[in-house]
Amino acid sequence: MLSIPIERFTLDNGLRVNLSHDATTPVVAINLWYGVGSRNELEGKTGFAHLFEHMMFQGSEHVPKGRHFELIERAGGSLNATTWFDRTNYFETVPSHHLELALWLESDRMGWMLPAMTQEKLDNQRDVVMNERRERYDNQPYGDWDEWIQAMVFPESHPYHHTVIGSMADIEAATLEDVADFFQTYYVPNNAVLTVCGDFSRDEALDLVERHFGGIPPGAEIPAIPGEPNLDPIIGGTVRERVEAEVPLPRVLMACRVPTYTDADFYAADVAGSVLGTGRASRLYRSLVRERRVAKDVTSFVFPLTSGAGMLLAWATGFPEGDPAELEAALVAELEGLASVTRQEIERAVALTETALVQQIERVGERADLVSMFDQIFDDPERLNGELERLRAVTPADVSAFVERFLGADNRAVLTYVPETAKTPNPRGP
Amino acid sequence: MSAPSRSLVPPAGTVRSFDFPSVQAEALDNGLRIRSVQVGRLPVVTAIVVLDAGEGLLDDGQAGLAVLTGDCLEGGTSERTGVELAEALEAIGAGLSIGTGWDSTTVALSCMADRLDDALSLLAEVLIQPSFPDDEVERLRDQRLAAIRQREMDPGGIATTASRRLTYAEGVPYGRPLSGTVESVGPFSPDAAAGFVVARYRPKGSGLVVVGDVDAGQVRSLVETHFGEWTGGTELPPEIDYAPRTRERGIVVVDRTDAVQSEIRIGHVGQTRSTQHYFPLRIVNTVLGGAFTSRLNLNLREVHGFTYGVRSRFLVRRGAGPWCVSTAVGTDVTADAVHEAVTEITTLVAEGPTEEEVGSARDYLAGVFPLRLETTGQIAARIAELLIYDLPDDYYADYRDRIRSVTLEEAHEAARRCIRPDEMTVVVGGDAKEIQGPLEELGWGPVTVEASP
Repeated sequence: MLSIPIERFTLDNGLRVNLSHDATTPVVAINLWYGVGSRNELEGKTGFAHLFEHMMFQGSEHVPKGRHFELIERAGGSLNATTWFDRTNYFETVPSHHLELALWLESDRMGWMLPAMTQEKLDNQRDVVMNERRERYDNQPYGDWDEWIQAMVFPESHPYHHTVIGSMADIEAATLEDVADFFQTYYVPNNAVLTVCGDFSRDEALDLVERHFGGIPPGAEIPAIPGEPNLDPIIGGTVRERVEAEVPLPRVLMACRVPTYTDADFYAADVAGSVLGTGRASRLYRSLVRERRVAKDVTSFVFPLTSGAGMLLAWATGFPEGDPAELEAALVAELEGLASVTRQEIERAVALTETALVQQIERVGERADLVSMFDQIFDDPERLNGELERLRAVTPADVSAFVERFLGADNRAVLTYVPETAKTPNPRGP
Repeated sequence: MSAPSRSLVPPAGTVRSFDFPSVQAEALDNGLRIRSVQVGRLPVVTAIVVLDAGEGLLDDGQAGLAVLTGDCLEGGTSERTGVELAEALEAIGAGLSIGTGWDSTTVALSCMADRLDDALSLLAEVLIQPSFPDDEVERLRDQRLAAIRQREMDPGGIATTASRRLTYAEGVPYGRPLSGTVESVGPFSPDAAAGFVVARYRPKGSGLVVVGDVDAGQVRSLVETHFGEWTGGTELPPEIDYAPRTRERGIVVVDRTDAVQSEIRIGHVGQTRSTQHYFPLRIVNTVLGGAFTSRLNLNLREVHGFTYGVRSRFLVRRGAGPWCVSTAVGTDVTADAVHEAVTEITTLVAEGPTEEEVGSARDYLAGVFPLRLETTGQIAARIAELLIYDLPDDYYADYRDRIRSVTLEEAHEAARRCIRPDEMTVVVGGDAKEIQGPLEELGWGPVTVEASP
C-alpha cells in the first residue's frame, strides 16, 4: 500500500487543487489537467485540442510570446504539455523557491490567454504542428498505425475514431475564432485539476494558489462529448486492413475494445495485457520471439480510456521474409491462450508494475500527474494509494472471464503492414 | 479583472540547498569498485554494473560484438535457461536493462529494496556465468540484423548514419553505427560472445553502483557474497586517432525520393569527456541548441515554423565524439532551414553569446541539475558515469558551482575552439530532386548526392 499524502481543496470557481508534500529534493512540480482532449473535437476540427495546446505557449496578457519557456528555463525548471484522447496536461518542475513563478504563468494562461492571440502566432504554430505530424506520422515507418487502428476499433460517430494529431487539412483550417471558442468552453477553472507536489510550505502554497487562480471566473457547464460516446462493449466481428508501405519489416497489430478505466473489470484487462506482453517472461515474448522465432519484437499495452470503451493493443514485428499470416495466427493463439493464466504469472505482472509505479512516483512531476489523473477521472486523488491493491486482487478466474468476453474473434481489429514491393503511390490513412 | 500585480514576474522565494548525496566508495579484493548511496524516500533500489566493454574498443570487422554480447545475456546462465532467468527476475519485479555504448556496457536493474539480495545474486550469475546457448545466440543475432534493417529504412537513422560516416576518417569506430552492420554482425557466434566476456567482463576495471533504501554495510556484504569469486582484469583500450574525414565544408544529400520531410544533420568531430572546455561548452551548447529557448529553436521553430524542433549536442566520449545539430524540416523549406542554421552557428562563433544568454544558460543548467537526480536510477546513472570516465567520487559536489562560474569569455573561447563553421558537413536526408537545386543556390559549399542505403 502506497502512502502518498494528498490534501484536496476546491476553490470557489470550481478549480480542484491537490497538495502533496515531499521534501526529499528541493523541487516542486505544478501539474494541470484540463478535461479536454481529442474526444471533444467536432467534425472538421480534428487535431485542434493539440494545436490549442501549442497556442497555450504563445503568451498571455501579462506574458509575452516566448517568456513562459524563458522564465522557466532561466529558473532552472523543466516544462511541457501533452494532449491525449480524454485530457490535456500542462506541467512544470522548478526549484522550490520558484513555485510562485510557475503558478503565475499557469494562471495567466488559464485566465488571460485570449488577449495575446494573433494570426501570426497561429500561422507559426500551425506550421510547427504540421511538421510535427510529418516527423512523427508521415515520414515514419508504421507512423500512421493509430489512424488505422482507431478507425477500425471505434465507429465514425465515436470520439475516439480520429487521432490526437488530426488531419493535415483540419490543422490547416484552424482559425483564431476556433481558438477563442475552445478557450472559453474548455479552459475554465471548473474543468481543471491543479496539483502541487514536492517541497513547499502548505499554507504558502494554498495562499499562492488562491491569489493567482482564485480570481479567474468559472465557465459554463462543459458541453457533452460530441458524437456517440456510448457503444457496444465489443466490435462485433474481425475487422482487417492490409497496408503496403515503405516499411522495413512486416508487422501485425491487433486491437480490441476493453472496459473503460472507470469500470471495475478494467483491472483484469490490465493484468491480462501485462501477462501478454510486459517483460521477457511474458507470453508474447516467450512464444513469438524466443521459442517460435517468428517475431523480432512484440509489444502490448492497454489504453486507460474513459469514454465508452478502452483498448487493448498488441503487435508483433516479423522478419524480412516472414509470413504475416503466421504472425497473425501466433498473436491470436496467445490472445486466446490467456484464458488460462497462472497465479505466478499474475504475481510477476504485478511485481513488475509495482517497481515501475514506485519508480514513476519517485519523480514529483510524475507523481503530480498521477494525482491529477485520479482526481480528474475518479474524483478521488487518494485512489492512487490503492492502485496496486486493485491489481493484486485480480484472480486467474477474473482474467479468464475477461478473455472469454473480450479477446475473441468477435472483438478484433487486425492491421497488417507489408513492405511495398514497388514504388507505387500508396493511399495514406483510412 | 486583473490586479496590477499580475503584470510583474513574481519574486523568487528562499533558495533551499541541494547537495549531491554522499557516495560511499569501496572495492573488493578482486578489484571490483563499489559505489553506494543511501536514499530512503521510497523502498526501491537500483543496481548498475559498469563494464569496460564498449564498442569503441573494437575495429570495424568486429563492429557490434559488444552490443550483441550484451543482447545475449538474456539467453541464460549455467544455472538457468533464458526463460527461467526471465521468470526469476520478474518474480522480484525486475528486468535486466542492458546498455551498450561506445565506452561501456552497463547491466542494470531496479526492484523493491527488500529484494536486493536476490537481485544481486541474479546479476552476478548473468555476468559471471552466462551460457550463450546456440539457439539463443542465433535468435538474438537475427533480431539484431532485423533491427539494422529497420535503422536503414528510418529517415532519421539514415541521416544520422550518413552524418557519422562523413564526420570521421575511414576506420574510426565513431564513424560507423553503434550496433554494427549486416556484414560485421552476420558471423557473430557463441564463441565470439564468450571470448568477449572473457576479455572484457572482469571485476578489475569494472564497477558496481547501488543506490536506494539500503545502507553501505549491507551493500558491501551482499556484493562480497555474490561477486567475491569473480576474477580477472581487462587490457587497456587501444589508442585511436579520432581524425575527421575532411576539413572542407560541404553538403551531402542522401536521396529519399518523395520524402515529405528532410532530416538535417550538421556537425564535425567534437570533444572528449575530459575536455578542459567541458563546462563552458555546456553553456555554449545550451545557447545554441540545448534548450527550448536556444537560438536555433527560436529561429527555426518559433520564428519560421520550419520544424517541430531542433537541437545541438556534443556527444562527449573517451575519444572525440561528434558535435551534431539535428532537425527535421518540410521539404520546401529545406534550403532556407540549412541557411538559417548555418547562419546561427556562424554568428555565435564569430560574435559569441551575450552576457544575458550566458547568465540564462548558467541558471538553467545549475537549476535543472537536482531535477534530474530525483530517482535511484538517475543518481546511479550519474555515478556510473564517474566510473566510466575515471572522474573523482566527489565530482558532483561542486558541479553547480563550476557551471555557475563559467564566464562570457570562457564560453566564447569554447565556441571558437570547439565549433568550426568552415569544417562543417551538412547531411540532408530528403528528396534530392526537390532540394538539390535550392541547396546549391545557397552557395555555402559543394553539394553532392548519394543514394540512400
